[in-house]
Amino acid sequence: MASRRTSSWWTVWGLLILVWAAFPLAWMVSLSFKDPNTFRSSTPTFLPKDWSWANYDSVFSDSLFTSALRNSFGISIIATTLSVVVAMFAAYAIARLDFPLKKVLLSMALAIAMFPQAALVGPLFDMWRRLGIYDTWIGLIIPYLTFALPLSIWTMSAFFRQIPWEMEQAAQVDGATQWQAFRKVIVPMAAPGVFTTAILTFFFCWNEFLLATSLTSTDKARTVPAALTFFTGQSQFQSPITSIMAASVVVTIPVVIIVLLFQRRIVAGLTSGAVKG
Amino acid sequence: MAEININNVSKEYGDGFKAVNDVSLDIADGEFMILVGPSGCGKSTLLRMIVGLEDITSGDVLIGGERVNDKAPRNRNLAMVFQNYALYPHLTVFENIAFPLRLRGGVSEEEITRKVQDAADTLELGEHLDRKPANLSGGQRQRVAMGRAIVREADAFLFDEPLSNLDAKLRGQMRTEILRMHRRMGTTTVYVTHDQTEAMTLGDRVAVMRRGVIQQVATPRELYERPVNMFVAGFIGSPPMNFVPAGVEGNKLTLPFVTVALPDEMAALVEGHDHVTLGIRPEAFEDAALVDDSQKEHGVEFVVHVDVIEWLGNEQYAYIPYDAPESMVAGLVELERELDSERMRSQLVVRLETMSSIHDDEDATLFLDPRRLLIFDPQSGENLTLRLQH
Repeated sequence: MASRRTSSWWTVWGLLILVWAAFPLAWMVSLSFKDPNTFRSSTPTFLPKDWSWANYDSVFSDSLFTSALRNSFGISIIATTLSVVVAMFAAYAIARLDFPLKKVLLSMALAIAMFPQAALVGPLFDMWRRLGIYDTWIGLIIPYLTFALPLSIWTMSAFFRQIPWEMEQAAQVDGATQWQAFRKVIVPMAAPGVFTTAILTFFFCWNEFLLATSLTSTDKARTVPAALTFFTGQSQFQSPITSIMAASVVVTIPVVIIVLLFQRRIVAGLTSGAVKG
Repeated sequence: MAEININNVSKEYGDGFKAVNDVSLDIADGEFMILVGPSGCGKSTLLRMIVGLEDITSGDVLIGGERVNDKAPRNRNLAMVFQNYALYPHLTVFENIAFPLRLRGGVSEEEITRKVQDAADTLELGEHLDRKPANLSGGQRQRVAMGRAIVREADAFLFDEPLSNLDAKLRGQMRTEILRMHRRMGTTTVYVTHDQTEAMTLGDRVAVMRRGVIQQVATPRELYERPVNMFVAGFIGSPPMNFVPAGVEGNKLTLPFVTVALPDEMAALVEGHDHVTLGIRPEAFEDAALVDDSQKEHGVEFVVHVDVIEWLGNEQYAYIPYDAPESMVAGLVELERELDSERMRSQLVVRLETMSSIHDDEDATLFLDPRRLLIFDPQSGENLTLRLQH
């Protein structure tokens, strides 16, 4: 009896948290389907009275949004790929090799991750203008790499450390060079770690707002979070809220898809079966 | 196939600790050599130096007459089975076994399939080839690890405590399997273990190591019957040899529970010592009631109090506590710690036949033939009995 009561309490708590977390999302979806001219009614309803795709039409016909979407995908994917590749080598070195100043390097990486980004916006703005990479993809990719790498390195070196060193030695005795052992044994075994890191980095780049809005000025490099603030209604009397919500729904979709696709890989046991069970 | 020569090899770590100290060992082509010793004796380090996973501080390792000190592990053409198997979890059993072949390159797909199939048949893994290591039992994983080793036709096999993760029954089966494999393939094998049963049953020769130094290299039989010192004598044999301190007066040895007169040639060995340490195998004692009359004149009978009897079906062990002077057992306490056991109290372990009617907590009359005693120098631990001509 007691255990059943406890478990029903857990269910109640779970539902409460779910509602708390899902309500804003549901509201966002609901708003995005409301008519932009009449959503502010005197008798508000949670669900739209008439479902309309009008907001989505206007969002996708707006070059502000479509170019932002292209920029977001491009910058996030490039930054993630670079960050994961660099972090993979760095993390492997940190997990496997002993070299002087290893501790210093790690603490410095962590310090960078903790550095307030807002403090860098001013100097970066100035530097990027002089270097001529203001409002370009590369101008956003570089700071994203800087801020994503420390966390990626820490996460991945934790994964690498869990792999028994004997796996690599076994590969070497089997005839592998150090590079082959890394590529054919260590990387596949660390795949869940690589995926986790890649996804976290992608989300960071995808959602980043501060730098995106400060270091861009045109459609050339502005990403979606920054572009959302530039939405206006079709006339100055029309509120852009419903369009912004439609755009938000659109940019949330890739995140949801990625999580659903890779959640099994992320959770999958790292070295199950490698050593005695 | 090749012979392995180890010449004056040492391994010194950065802090000056010598894990392996000036070891020389020649392993003949096709020989099954065991490296055995308590934990921390340097046996695994020596094996890892042969395979190339550990740098050699000084000395040379030759495989097939060729110096390999500076060769990477992959260029030494050796196969190794690790203690935790080190199977690649992301590959199927087939790909695990095929891994070394694929790395070598230039091997056709048909040849790989054929070789893997052969190895799988040998190890009875045929039906598991498509499975992942995570779905295999401990014994099956062990066999996959061996399959990965035999598929390569390596110059030598190296085993690093391969059976220590298996339960007792499986360990016995795999031991036989390894032996059968070696008999059939005749490949030079170096096998590290701390289990003396494995050492005795598998090895053509056994090297007993202690603190990075080889104590004795000999056949299992010779190690058992003619150990060079107390360390080897105490390490080999289960239950272990009894070490009993004894005072010396002329040709008489005074043990805590009996005084024995030594035959002349053995009496000469103890000359100049006022006390010695005796090594007595548990089976050297006998229940006096079961000893043939013709034998009795060669030994002594004595009465002791039996504390506990362990009956094992085919034999039984009697435990007999005795008092010995503190000063005389001090060295033995140290020795036992080194042998990974702990000396709780001074006691004899005596093996008795099941016919014996000696019971717990009773006095019993035992028989001991002094010719079966091993006499050790209490200071150096050297086996003085070896000086006898056999």
